[in-house]
Amino acid sequence: MLLEVKNLNAGYGFLQILRDVSLTVDTGEYVCLVGPNGAGKSTTLKTIAGLVSPMSGEILFNGEPIGSLPGNKVARKGISFVSEEMNLFVNMTVQENLAMGAYTLKDKKLQKDRLDFVYDLFPRLVERRNQLAGTMSGGERKMLAIGRGLMPNPKLLLVDEPSFGLAPLLTENVFQSLDTLVSQGVTIMVVEQNVTKTLAVTDRGYVLENGRIGLSGKSSDLACDAHVRKVFLGV
Amino acid sequence: MAEQVKKRIWERLFKWCKSLAGLTVIATVVIALLATIDRGGYVLVNTIITGGMTALVAMGLALTLGVLNIPMFAHGEYFMIGTLTAYYVFTPISTYVNTHPESALVFWGPLITVVAAMIVGALAGVISEVLVFSQLRKRSRENWVMNSFLLTVGLSVVLINAHQLFFGADFKGITRYWAGMPITVMDVYISRDRAMAFVLAAVVVAAFWFFMTYTRTGRAIRAVAQDETGALIVGIGLNGILLLTMSLSCALAAIAGAGLLFMYPSYPSVGLEPLYMAWFVVILAGLGNVLGAVMGAFMVALLKVLTIEYIGSGWDFVVPSALIIVILIFKPSGIFGSEVRGVLDK
Ligand SMILES: Nc1ncnc2c1ncn2[C@@H]1O[C@H](COP(=O)(O)OP(=O)(O)O)[C@@H](O)[C@H]1O
Ligand SMILES: [Mg+2]
Repeated sequence: MLLEVKNLNAGYGFLQILRDVSLTVDTGEYVCLVGPNGAGKSTTLKTIAGLVSPMSGEILFNGEPIGSLPGNKVARKGISFVSEEMNLFVNMTVQENLAMGAYTLKDKKLQKDRLDFVYDLFPRLVERRNQLAGTMSGGERKMLAIGRGLMPNPKLLLVDEPSFGLAPLLTENVFQSLDTLVSQGVTIMVVEQNVTKTLAVTDRGYVLENGRIGLSGKSSDLACDAHVRKVFLGV
Repeated sequence: MAEQVKKRIWERLFKWCKSLAGLTVIATVVIALLATIDRGGYVLVNTIITGGMTALVAMGLALTLGVLNIPMFAHGEYFMIGTLTAYYVFTPISTYVNTHPESALVFWGPLITVVAAMIVGALAGVISEVLVFSQLRKRSRENWVMNSFLLTVGLSVVLINAHQLFFGADFKGITRYWAGMPITVMDVYISRDRAMAFVLAAVVVAAFWFFMTYTRTGRAIRAVAQDETGALIVGIGLNGILLLTMSLSCALAAIAGAGLLFMYPSYPSVGLEPLYMAWFVVILAGLGNVLGAVMGAFMVALLKVLTIEYIGSGWDFVVPSALIIVILIFKPSGIFGSEVRGVLDK
């Protein structure tokens, strides 16, 4: 198992958000975590990425506990986190942002290969390579954030709300890029509020409500589940 | 192709000239030239020399603001540590050189002094970060700006009094670093010490700029300044960068202190004037804007020189202060905006 989260409790200060969250992601899988606003989806990803420290529970990556590591060490293990706020370096150019994404790669040749890979996936970024990240549109910034996350060739890509704030056409674009990545063997765990779309494209899903995992299973089954349909799809 | 590139460069240059930053820089240069024509070359020379050293102190201050989010009021004390180190290193060297005028130390002595001050300054920075700021950071990051500010005020008082206690309150100075006739530029006599002080500032600013722009570590520092979470996500260790930044910024102040020892003899509160100058610059340039601080340093220096020249030497703090108030009212983010997000944005 690539990622194993066991009975995770986490939150901010004394405020507990996640209660007994357990989930797994296997190599090559495309997994989603869906749930209503404020359920704790982002908190789950942040905790796995080492930006929020767990109160209790275990996070295993390739069987190795990573729960107590800070974000930079988690990144070095091969987990890339694309946050909801994107956390780009706004006063650096697109190319500089991508170069920072490869911070942990020492090999110049590999850096160049990864840059070509990202530019191949998002040709839009090539046109914008000398533009400051802070002056780009929402969709372009999303692409840049995902591109930066892909630079170190991560074993696991965590993406928080890829479609948030994007026009439908751009949403389609971003999801297509994720599909391409999955078909190339990248393991992805995605968090989304756009439940219909997400369940249609992913392999497996978890439903998070009030900080607890309520349901889990194959995405196609979840999409047919009566509870899910009632709560998220309003049917 | 080459045509297009040329056109693009011109367009950018034109746009920059019309921006506030461009206008201010152009205005500064024009005013400096007019004053030079009016009063003589020494106005320009003084501005450039004062500006160079101010830039060193201000860059360090901008760095602590931008990267560590600390409104540093003890920065002048690292300048003081630089003067003190330089005094104790250079005094024996100059005694030796007096009796051995052929010694290689005539040339290397001042350089050794500056390097020693730099090392001691960097160490002082490391110690302050480890003993003071990282302790606060571990305990709480709530109200960080205010709490760290209060800590720096305390640190400043402690360092000033430690100097007085261990080294005394008298003036510890040297007559000069470099012997020999003054250099003449544009009919102005410049002592060798002042000329070398400017060369030192220029070299350090250039090296620092290169470091921040082209090296992996320099880029990591800028990344932390722009987005701490983003830096963590890409694998940059925060603690190392914060420690390095603190020691860099203190080393810069100490270099300035050593470089100016011939003008500012070492005494407990010698750091106050450079501290105020640096704050003027940083507010003018935009909090945390490291490269803008270099430009701002020359503007503040010009303002100071012109005030002394046209109004009187007692006014050289009043006029810049008044200007700072005006800037804070009309353009609180500073003239150059902010290359990095400063304390106010976080
Ligand atoms: N930095 C924070 N400090 C305190 N509470 C937070 C913080 N971030 C999120 N929360 C709270 O945690 C809960 C879950 O938030 P989040 O994980 O962002 O939900 P989701 O991503 O599912 O919408 C919310 O109630 C939110 O208010
Ligand atoms: Mg969220």
